[in-house]
Amino acid sequence: MQLRLIIERFDPQTNDAAYRQTFTVDWERHETVLDVLLKARRQDPALAFRRSCRSGICGSCAMQIGNISRLACQTLVRDVTGDGGELEIKPLPGFRQLKDLVVDLEPFFAALKRVLPWVITGPHHDGLISPEVSARIETPATCILCGVCDAAIPQNGPVTSAALVKNVRLAVDPRDALGSERMKSAGLTGEGLQTFRELLANICPKGIKLPPVVQE
Amino acid sequence: MIFHDIVIVGGGLTGLMAAVEAPPGTDVALISKIYPTRSHSGAAQGGFNAAMAEDDSVENHVFDTVKGSDYLGDQDAIETLCSEGPEVIRKLEQMGVPWSRTPEGRPAQRSLGGASFPRACYSADISGHAVLHTLYERALAAGVRIYPEWHLVELLLEEGRLAGLLVYDLATGRLEVVRCRVALLATGGYGRIFRKTTNGHANTGDGTAIAYRAGAVLSDMEFVQFHPTTLYGTNILISEAARGDGGYLRNAAGERFMARYAPQKMELAPRDVVSRSIFQEIKDGRGLGEGYINLDLTHLGADKIHRLLPQVNELAHLYAAVDSSQTPIPIEPAQHYSMGGIRVNRDCETSIPGLLAAGETANVSVHGANRLGGNSLLETVVFGRRAGRRMLEMVKRPMPPRPRVSLERALSNWQANFGVGAPRQSDDSVFAIREDMGRIMTDKVGVFRTGVELKQAMEELAVLRSRYAALRVPAGEHSFNQQLIDHMELGFMLELSEMTAGAAWRRTESRGAHFRIDYPRRNDPDWLHHTLIRRGDDGRPIYEAGTVAFTRFQPQERGY
Repeated sequence: MQLRLIIERFDPQTNDAAYRQTFTVDWERHETVLDVLLKARRQDPALAFRRSCRSGICGSCAMQIGNISRLACQTLVRDVTGDGGELEIKPLPGFRQLKDLVVDLEPFFAALKRVLPWVITGPHHDGLISPEVSARIETPATCILCGVCDAAIPQNGPVTSAALVKNVRLAVDPRDALGSERMKSAGLTGEGLQTFRELLANICPKGIKLPPVVQE
Repeated sequence: MIFHDIVIVGGGLTGLMAAVEAPPGTDVALISKIYPTRSHSGAAQGGFNAAMAEDDSVENHVFDTVKGSDYLGDQDAIETLCSEGPEVIRKLEQMGVPWSRTPEGRPAQRSLGGASFPRACYSADISGHAVLHTLYERALAAGVRIYPEWHLVELLLEEGRLAGLLVYDLATGRLEVVRCRVALLATGGYGRIFRKTTNGHANTGDGTAIAYRAGAVLSDMEFVQFHPTTLYGTNILISEAARGDGGYLRNAAGERFMARYAPQKMELAPRDVVSRSIFQEIKDGRGLGEGYINLDLTHLGADKIHRLLPQVNELAHLYAAVDSSQTPIPIEPAQHYSMGGIRVNRDCETSIPGLLAAGETANVSVHGANRLGGNSLLETVVFGRRAGRRMLEMVKRPMPPRPRVSLERALSNWQANFGVGAPRQSDDSVFAIREDMGRIMTDKVGVFRTGVELKQAMEELAVLRSRYAALRVPAGEHSFNQQLIDHMELGFMLELSEMTAGAAWRRTESRGAHFRIDYPRRNDPDWLHHTLIRRGDDGRPIYEAGTVAFTRFQPQERGY
């Protein structure tokens, strides 16, 4: 089967603006969008995109595939094109395009850093956490920092989406000295958090369902 | 030219653990070819071994590891690994790792292959990911200066010691010289030399090859781990936790065939044993389809699978279209881990003064001829921490001289990558050579080896090396010049492939993961030693024997 991959290209050294280039690649039913991108790169070795684990755990290959932000390595071609035809791929929206499908991640990681994204271990911690509490931490701790939620969910309040997920992960951790206080800095009402939770569950490549946070 | 006291290359578990060991205010820089959270440590699923339970012991852990290593592991290093394990796990707990818990609230532990006790601490089946992100967070808290998407190009030695690093900033397309007092290589393994591997795209062994070129001694490159359960076709890892938590391996007749090969340990025999057994079943005509075996989780039930093995379930669903609670998962063995690497002592020091190495990049050697599941994650944090501590001691030394002669040489090597009228990649390409390399390695340097095939592999790899030498990339300081990276990575991998095949050809015995059909027995009188490899003046590898450290356990027959 053949697929027409329409990729948004941009090289700051030679182009004034982004343009679309079509690659024709063969594909098979088990293949992912990352698989066909790697084939396109054989046709043009200068085509730039990020990838590493190819199994949905490193978060490198977030991009806009057929108008939806997602991971190339966990998107099957057949799920987005049916029997083929064509597929449009663009860099992650809301991020600055550096080259082709590579975007500037510095603002993303800087925004994360602003929420103090680490457990500030309180002195009282005795090393014990119940399995129930641990299960609540585990879900948001699945976050791979791919950037899809920042691209897909409009920011509501001072904290960006992935940073908000980290905030919740830390707020439910009994080790953390700030705990639920962290939610105040996120500037979200309970209702706002509920809306975010629903939006996230629909678009997160890891399907993260945020646990409830008890706020004083 | 930039300057830091301590430079760490690699942002996976080892590099980050070393970085967070430094007290605040220490000048630590971390250079990584990808963003640290993208490191392949994050793909590790099973857990971190540590003798934490009252009825387990460090001595049991040491013995299991020594036996698992087929007696090639250095017992002093193994004692360090196992005895520091529990303390490091408690430290990770303090740092905020979301461990899965026992009903009493302690970090839960599961069984992995070759262990006499359930001793792997885990976080569902995303153990590597959970700890990687926790350590990354601690590195941010500690103010570690991170240089993401910077590639190590060459190590700069002056007067026989490390004086700096030549690095390439992918985003700007520019070279930079980094001077430092001490550096750590924590650049992971080189599984991408094989066509069938669980490793990510970044695992091309850059640090190992660069250290070798700079004169560091490598060791035990013939010992390559093949993971028994990777998804058939894509070779995406399916954690050993799937068997640790009760999964069965079944052949075409539905038999639990491990009863034939490891009647006591069954599915939880060490990986070398299980991988060979799977291939034997397939060879004897008891495989399924065109050559796979089933990993059966159906008897565990959907609830247990979702709780303990959520990622396994997702991966099987997405990449194999299988609901693991209803249907067995088709699997085949594939390259997974490099036991060999840069030879280091227990303080992670290489043969180059001022240069340390730890984690999968290094060979200390705690895994010997075969690594047990759960021991490499432990190695990353135990030896990452030791490397961090050692660097803090070494940082008091005077600054090495400014790189001059070494820099001139490195820059001229760098220029050789670029083509002026050289054959462009028209009829040949990095892609074509890489495909040939992967095929040669998987077909001829795999689970079952013979002298004839290994010799062929060496000859074919030499041809690839000359094809590679004719390739050039377009010059220019392009940002995100992936073409240049592909080119450099292939050079590193070809070098490592030749040594892997060469060391395997030389070792005429079978031990751990190295199995020679023409020499099917372990041969302690002739081969109970490490293979040390250094680069000769002509650029060819020189192989020598190195002593294995024994403390308590003398070699015995290794039955499971």
